[in-house]
Amino acid sequence: MILLQSPSKYLLQILTTRLENLDKGVELDSHWIEFNDVRYHVQASMKNPNLLFLSVSLPPPPPETVSFGGLPPGAIEAIKAAYGVVAQILDPPRDGFSLTLKLNLSKLPPDEEHKHGVLTKIASVREVVLGAPLRVFLKQLASRTVASDIDKVVALVHRPMESFFLIPQVEKVTVVFPMRFKDSIDILLATSFLKEFVDARRTAGLNNAPPCSWSPSPPPELKGAPPEALSSNAGFVSFVIFPRHVEGRKLDRTVWSLSTFHAYVSYHVKCSEGFMHTRMRRRVESLIQALDSAKPEYEKAVKATQNRSFKRLSLKDGRSSLKSFS
Amino acid sequence: MDPATSRPAVVIDNGTGYTKMGFAGNVEPCFIVPTVVAVNDSFVNQSRAASTKSNNWLAQYSAGVMADLDFCIGEEALSRSKSNTTYNLSYPIKRGQVDNWDAMERFWQQCIFNYLRCDPEDHYFLLTESPLTAPESREYTGEIMFETFNVPGLYIAVQPVLALAAGYTTSKCEMTGVVVDVGDGATHVVPVAEGYVIGSSIKSIPVSGRDVTLFIQQLMRERGEHVPPEDSFEVARKVKEAYCYTCSDIVKEYNKHDKEPAKYIKQWRGIKPKTGAPYSCDIGYERFLGPEVFFNPEIYSSDFTTPLPDVIDKCIQSAPIDTRRALYKNIVLSGGSTMFKDFNRRLQRDLKKIVDARLLSSDARLGGEVRAQPVEVNVVSHPIQRYAVWFGGSVLASTPEFFAACHTKAEYEECGASICRTNPVFKGMY
Repeated sequence: MILLQSPSKYLLQILTTRLENLDKGVELDSHWIEFNDVRYHVQASMKNPNLLFLSVSLPPPPPETVSFGGLPPGAIEAIKAAYGVVAQILDPPRDGFSLTLKLNLSKLPPDEEHKHGVLTKIASVREVVLGAPLRVFLKQLASRTVASDIDKVVALVHRPMESFFLIPQVEKVTVVFPMRFKDSIDILLATSFLKEFVDARRTAGLNNAPPCSWSPSPPPELKGAPPEALSSNAGFVSFVIFPRHVEGRKLDRTVWSLSTFHAYVSYHVKCSEGFMHTRMRRRVESLIQALDSAKPEYEKAVKATQNRSFKRLSLKDGRSSLKSFS
Repeated sequence: MDPATSRPAVVIDNGTGYTKMGFAGNVEPCFIVPTVVAVNDSFVNQSRAASTKSNNWLAQYSAGVMADLDFCIGEEALSRSKSNTTYNLSYPIKRGQVDNWDAMERFWQQCIFNYLRCDPEDHYFLLTESPLTAPESREYTGEIMFETFNVPGLYIAVQPVLALAAGYTTSKCEMTGVVVDVGDGATHVVPVAEGYVIGSSIKSIPVSGRDVTLFIQQLMRERGEHVPPEDSFEVARKVKEAYCYTCSDIVKEYNKHDKEPAKYIKQWRGIKPKTGAPYSCDIGYERFLGPEVFFNPEIYSSDFTTPLPDVIDKCIQSAPIDTRRALYKNIVLSGGSTMFKDFNRRLQRDLKKIVDARLLSSDARLGGEVRAQPVEVNVVSHPIQRYAVWFGGSVLASTPEFFAACHTKAEYEECGASICRTNPVFKGMY
């Protein structure tokens, strides 16, 4: 898996199994959290197997972004446009969530392929809601109808209390991500990953991809943004999106890739750590083999008998640990 | 306060056959997938052979960056390896113990990022291990979780204790009992007293769910059913999951089958994987002979012939004497291979027989002066048996005390992987 997929696997599984077993609908009450602190809650009852309540809460927005009751601007319209009659927005939403949808499974289109399409769309609710404002700007870019106040910087939330920036212009939209990581090793890996990422863009096959650049300091376009939103420990990545990147069906993919760019980088940082560990493990094994083959025969025999793998515990250890298990 | 403690912990129960994963506080795991990884090894071997002659290394290098992500897990892995020969299946867990750490690390990576889609830095983790896991492998688990995934906290729980904790909500708070954990790869009988495992009395037997499958496969092959050989293990597994049940008496059951074949003999229909032609076969005696492996192991193997009820009885008899009555009273089943219909009733009946015989003989020996109180034998079965361990983990991880019992990232950085070496659940009994 190289890219993160937009529909939530679990939500899609819930919806399809629910649809297959509509006649023996069971109680369902389940909650989970996805990356970037997007929380989900699904509830369905036995009495009304066609109804499903889906609540979503988004990452808490930082002060520089615009939001209406926890939802980014344009989200409500985006939901209505995407789901039509299948979903109904409940007002107010459930406690602790920013959006609750009442899904009516009996209103799904009858033919299988269409139905699956709608279910997948519901499973990508996070893309629809969180990506709504970005989508609006990119759509304006595609139709070249960007509002005239040039050099306006727009902040959009993508992680809890963190945002990325958009500089919409008539012919292009510049997107800037301040990259932040918690762990010191992650920072190093992410920095070199991003440098490689920018280099890879220059190879011949990727001429049509959006130009991207990495810099350790905030790019000059972001002068107007509040300084605390511009702190970063792995530099800044900016992409320039041209109208050709958001034509037709490309729009959805561009919105998803941009709004989960941080998750993408952090996934690959973890993967490369895992890969390095695999290599280290192999190396250790080969070194141990070399050591073993260098040992004289009698030493091997002694080692085998003395190999004690269990650490003896004193009485004191045992007593203190009695308390620690709840 | 650590914001991760406000989010539900991630609970992953890695079994030999299936992995159960989900979030604490839910009733059901999000996913139950086969514990298998399909890896495309073509790149690894190729790069080694070609490393000496370094022509177009850049191409291989850039191909390699992709190739190390070229793997998948679960059902996807099974179907991918069937359709494509470049993928090799590897089962990271064998007989309840992690066998291949590279595959295990990759498996966890996919579980976290592709299935649960969570950020491991945001959640505490609860993993499980079998009661016979070596301390080294616990350290290894800790190392991977803290180093690769940067988890803020980790708790490695012992499966049988979790299986007991699963029963905890359905009735009362009872943390004493014998857990009979029959998984796909390992069968353990583990006595637990007040939440502590009695380590010296753990019994493990070499008959598990996979052996039932192998036995069914063997029976069907010997009878000459027309199942394509490359598919026969999978068919046997599906037959086991769908049609097997426990009988009370083999001879009676044979008679029943012979009298009314129409009622008892089932049909299996499938499609040959190579040619696509449909086929069908009969399922007969193996419906009850499969689970019988636990009660009469001699029909399957000549090496191991002690029936499961005897093993449980021996296990309880070796436990401290003051716990035995409580142990007999609460025998908890867990694991997918205890799901056969009436498995609990058969086990309870056989065990009761052994216990009653012992009581009678001791009464006879004492000559009627003192009478022993009858021993209550109770085999508990609940509907969530298949993922009882996971459910127990979910219950445990949603209590506020859980976060205090975890090993934290800070502790790991201070002391290293040795913090995971010992498990408090065992310590009390040494």
